Amino acid sequence: MTARDLLYEVEQFLFREARILDEARYDDWLRLLENDIRYWAPVRETSDNRETDVRDITEMALFDDDLDFLKARVQRLHSGLAHAETPISRTRRMLSNIEIEKSSKTLVTVFCNFLIYQTRLERTEAMYVGRREDILKRAGKSWRIKNRKIFLDQTLLPRTISILL
Amino acid sequence: MFQDKHETYVSDDGLVSRQIFFDPDIYRKELEKVYAKVWLFMGHESQVPNAGDYFTNYMGEDPVIVWRDRSGKVRVFLNSCRHRGMRICRTDIGNAKQFTCPFHGWSYSSEGDLVGVPFLEDAYFNDLDREQWALYEIPKVQSYGGLIFANMDPYSISLNDFLGELRWYLDIFLSRALGEIQVLPGRQRYSCKTNWKIASENFAGDTYHLPYSHGSLFRVDAPVLNPVSYMHSPNLYSVTTEHGHGLCGVSVAGERFEADIELAKELGPEALDYVEETQRRLEERLSTDQAKVYTLAFGNIFPNFSLNNFSALRPYGFYLWHPKGPDGIEAWQWSAVDSEAPQAIKEICRAQFQRQQAAAGIAGQDDTENFEQVTEATRGVVGQSLVFNYQMGLGHEKAIKPPKNLPGTVGPYYSEQGQRNYYNYWANLMDFAPMPEATKTNGKGNNHAVAAAPGMKSSKRATRGTRV
Repeated sequence: MTARDLLYEVEQFLFREARILDEARYDDWLRLLENDIRYWAPVRETSDNRETDVRDITEMALFDDDLDFLKARVQRLHSGLAHAETPISRTRRMLSNIEIEKSSKTLVTVFCNFLIYQTRLERTEAMYVGRREDILKRAGKSWRIKNRKIFLDQTLLPRTISILL
Repeated sequence: MFQDKHETYVSDDGLVSRQIFFDPDIYRKELEKVYAKVWLFMGHESQVPNAGDYFTNYMGEDPVIVWRDRSGKVRVFLNSCRHRGMRICRTDIGNAKQFTCPFHGWSYSSEGDLVGVPFLEDAYFNDLDREQWALYEIPKVQSYGGLIFANMDPYSISLNDFLGELRWYLDIFLSRALGEIQVLPGRQRYSCKTNWKIASENFAGDTYHLPYSHGSLFRVDAPVLNPVSYMHSPNLYSVTTEHGHGLCGVSVAGERFEADIELAKELGPEALDYVEETQRRLEERLSTDQAKVYTLAFGNIFPNFSLNNFSALRPYGFYLWHPKGPDGIEAWQWSAVDSEAPQAIKEICRAQFQRQQAAAGIAGQDDTENFEQVTEATRGVVGQSLVFNYQMGLGHEKAIKPPKNLPGTVGPYYSEQGQRNYYNYWANLMDFAPMPEATKTNGKGNNHAVAAAPGMKSSKRATRGTRV
């Protein structure tokens, strides 16, 4: 497979995943995850030392979930009592600057930028902007997400996060 | 607009005017009469371990720097140059010997001294009293068990007196740790379009929202959550103390400790040893009654500092609801762990904090949805003319026999005494109404205070409509 073919395949996978989340097909989304996934989004703070702008993996995060807890989040969304997502938000995920950082036979590390627009009810709105580092694992003709690092650019979030990034 | 210092927005029978969540004049007055008068939580000493360490925070809408000086003293300064007001510290955290204002270059030391003025001779002819133009220092800074508070009012009562009987409970929260309480690096921050009181009163007394607002927590298979602690039990109580403070879900029969033992058994011998040791530590350091209470569940220290800790196997949560206009807040929150807890338990604590009452947690987001939609649904002219009902439990104080030896006013688990206590103290600070005696509880038939108040013109109608 050429580098271009691989990039195309990975891009198509990420776009499809984004659409599945936009369509709130959470059970389908769970099927795209590896059993040992780590889904992590650090807290951002403006520091005098740029290196500590992103908190370490052992420090405070916004998300630090394994598959069990991601399943619990989905279970909650189906519970009828997830008020923050009842009715569900309309979301639009825009991905760009997709780059394959490295690849082996079974794994690729892929970078992308994202802009997620969320709106719900009459006028509730939020925008989440940042970059992602995903590790995807080959699963037959497709891929599964093995690791996701979500680096939001915002220190102050526009609201509590009721969606998946 | 408030015209009269005797105007009543808070009745002594549990009704509160909705105007207090919108009126810009009331909001302005709150910044003066509440935020510039009472002790405000700044952070924990573990956030500034070394000389020069600092982090930024707010007192009302005033930005401040919490900064450990060269001698090791924690000071709090307005984050604003004395010359022309520029923000001198534009980062959230770090270490600095001094800050230099980006506007004209005035420099200040960690003692607040104005140590540098560019062109002092050419521009000022050496005629500037640098002592007079030192950084504005918040006059009072005191710690309680590592929790740093600051007060804008040099004549205020001491922090100890402000916390009052609440200290008996805080001591439990603070003494159970085998090591130091250590704030995890990283603060979560999010905006919410609501009034600051809506968010903080939720921790001061709103046990009643837990089963429904957070009903989804009971529907998920996630052992990291601890929904048991949310449930009603005859041995759980609401506690209020002077100055508007409130605690929810205080356990007296040792059941939180027993729940921890059960949880620890599932986690393994290390967790079990740890839980037993924390209990021994409490018995050594505090009274038997305090050791039985074991932890404080959740509560609010007036005005805007909420905290929770359900268990030795659960995190400490510190929450600030910063006012940003009458209908906006920024929620800032930190979590802390016991430095001597086993690593595995620290990890559980961090995960649990992030997943529950946090920016992306599955409890916090339902709260903010409620707060925002309360604000949206009550901002209209008629909406604001009505009252909020905080009457739960009024007139039924004798329905339970509160346990002895618990300081403060002890009431049933489901109760709105926490909010009544909160708004009474708020009204008192605002000079809106005389503080009713703490023991005056039967408010039935005593609604005239609200009905007669100019601030609550429509309350008669509202009351008729809402009372059954």
